[in-house]
Amino acid sequence: MFQSLPEKFKEYGLPADVRTLLLLRKAMEKGLINTLGDVYLVLKNIIVKDPKMYGPYTRAYYEYFLNIMMEPGENLNTAVLRSIGFKKWREKFVDRHPEWDEKPIEELIDRYLDEVHLTSYDIKNIIDGQTIIDKDNLELEDKANQEAQSDELRENLLDKAADYSNIDMDEILKRMEEVAKRQKEKHSGGSHWIGTDGISPYGHNGAANGGVRIGGAGGGKMARKVIGNPQFYPVDVDARIKDDNVDAALSYLKGALEESAESKLDVENTIKKGLKRGGLFLPEMEDVISEKMQIILLIDNGGYSMSPYIGRVMELFKKMKTRFSHDLEVFYFHNSIYDLIYTDARRSRKKAMTMDRFLALDPNYKVFIVGDAAMAPYELTRDSIYQWISIKDKFPKTAWLNPEREANWNYVQTTVYLSKIFDMYPLTPRGIEKAVLAMNKKKN
Amino acid sequence: MADKTFWTGSESYLCDPELAQAFHMARTLGMPLLIEGEPGTGKTELPLQYSKNLNLDLFVYPVGSKSNVEQFVAKFDHVKYLRDSQIEVLNAQREEKGLDSKLSTSGRSTDRLDDYVLLGPAAQAFSAPNSVLLIDEIDKAPREFPNDLLYALSHRKFVMPESGKIVETNEDEMPAIVITSNREQELPTAFKGRCVYHYIKFPEPETMGKIVNKHYPEADKETVDVCINLFYHLRRLNLERAPSTRELLNWLKYVQTFAKGEALEKINKLEGVGALIKTQADMEYIQKGINEGLDSFLRKVRYN
Repeated sequence: MFQSLPEKFKEYGLPADVRTLLLLRKAMEKGLINTLGDVYLVLKNIIVKDPKMYGPYTRAYYEYFLNIMMEPGENLNTAVLRSIGFKKWREKFVDRHPEWDEKPIEELIDRYLDEVHLTSYDIKNIIDGQTIIDKDNLELEDKANQEAQSDELRENLLDKAADYSNIDMDEILKRMEEVAKRQKEKHSGGSHWIGTDGISPYGHNGAANGGVRIGGAGGGKMARKVIGNPQFYPVDVDARIKDDNVDAALSYLKGALEESAESKLDVENTIKKGLKRGGLFLPEMEDVISEKMQIILLIDNGGYSMSPYIGRVMELFKKMKTRFSHDLEVFYFHNSIYDLIYTDARRSRKKAMTMDRFLALDPNYKVFIVGDAAMAPYELTRDSIYQWISIKDKFPKTAWLNPEREANWNYVQTTVYLSKIFDMYPLTPRGIEKAVLAMNKKKN
Repeated sequence: MADKTFWTGSESYLCDPELAQAFHMARTLGMPLLIEGEPGTGKTELPLQYSKNLNLDLFVYPVGSKSNVEQFVAKFDHVKYLRDSQIEVLNAQREEKGLDSKLSTSGRSTDRLDDYVLLGPAAQAFSAPNSVLLIDEIDKAPREFPNDLLYALSHRKFVMPESGKIVETNEDEMPAIVITSNREQELPTAFKGRCVYHYIKFPEPETMGKIVNKHYPEADKETVDVCINLFYHLRRLNLERAPSTRELLNWLKYVQTFAKGEALEKINKLEGVGALIKTQADMEYIQKGINEGLDSFLRKVRYN
């Protein structure tokens, strides 16, 4: 069952696979799933592994289980209104509660979402409320009787709670039946899904009137909040670096950090302690943790085409520097490199460095070249090309980050040339990630 | 049989319903619960309060930058082993010389390797049915640490070093494992895949009122309301380091030492705001605002 679930959720960029289904099945067998709201909760805790996934997850869930599909730019209400499930639910609901016909459609949608998200935890709340009312009921003298009654009640409520599922749920029901068949225990859930006659679980039976708020925290409201809040969506890692995805870029950049932890023989301590033990020398180990990050940043800061990006790039690497103690060398060039590179942003000759000296730096440096690689063809001279190739040969871990859109690279002759020399990546968080991964794969 | 009932918090601890549900689910499925969230949202509190409330054994492993699986599971005490084996030799020599008294190994025998295995919190928790195991701040660990736990988490067993003894538990008696992380580094996907995940969202003002009430039931309601109101305004300022629940509670502790009228005055002057603001840049920003005239600044704060 649900075979198509992982595929659908993957479309939303969520990590769902066969294990998700196995866990879901296990959750069913353990009686965790009695309502559609439970499915939401359980799947959420299984699938979502990052707050940024809550948004896509909620959308995927709506599409898969409720057939509510949100077009880009559309809000939830419109999508819900369009769905067949809501229409069917509304007919039945209004039929039963004519007074709701007068109410604004938004309230009906809220009510619908609350019911969709009604979990067995909420129902338990309602039942507990009901039990309290029952306890005052003098007819129930026998305590055992009372318990049986409340169990029955629980079942009834759960049965009725399974209602909103007119919504193309044959598959789920089939699965539920199977679970029910396999399970003989009385109150372990599973079977309670079956037996739907499309009535609302509360409202008419007095439990809700017992003072318990329907839907706990208001499941619909919660989902609405998640859907509307950019905090719960992944940042666009394919967009050029901006304020809102600079952190993502940073986290990818962290991958360039070489971290090693090892235990080493602590010779000095071994001797000292050995002497103290009267000549019994036991190896003393010491933990050595080292973080190594040597980075050279080569920035093309000539020409106005580059100016919007320089600040951002500098900020990004500066953040890196404050977080980790490491070597960060920044050099500048204009369009292409000839015999000099510059250590200050104004590229004054006084602070220039010859390429020979530059090439004498430690080859373990990871070199990020940031530039659009676009220039007049005559600027990329034979000598200049020779310099680029020497950089590449000297520093095997070199990547070119290009702020231009990838689609445009092929139209600029010099970009095409340079991308043949260097591995070129777009200056986006994902581009940085790819660059770092490729660097890490290269051995010195 | 481990406790699998739905636990919603105790007298002194307000458990967010969503967190409670995730925790319940984790225990029912016999999986660890991974909690992430801003610092100071009460991630660590959950297992502490849970074990206290239900009177369960609690094993805590605070993770640090040098943490390794050995400390977490068990390690073999080579020094003791060597010492004891030398004692055996010594005893034999003494016997030869006709000395009666023997040096003691305190009942340990070098034949039984298990005697020299020092159990870490994980092995202890796995051998105590129905216990609680907290792995605190796993994001501080070296990268290999979470990966090294994968086997143990999915098979529910540890192999003891040297002795090869297996400490295992089953799904029913599995300790409730809670893992917390501040997201300072991404955890490996394979690791996350073995956990039930919950991200603690920052509480709404209403919930925050309840949390404060659990901590300071005696506090004056008006003062608390004013504080919470201001607190949320400060959070909206896009500060470098937004104040968290912990900071609010500390601030309230300070404010409470004054009589009500005085306290309100202090709050409105943002006195003791150092308890809330944690970075130099933020402090300067707030200070500048205070100097500009608190009223207009606060209004700006309020309507920003």
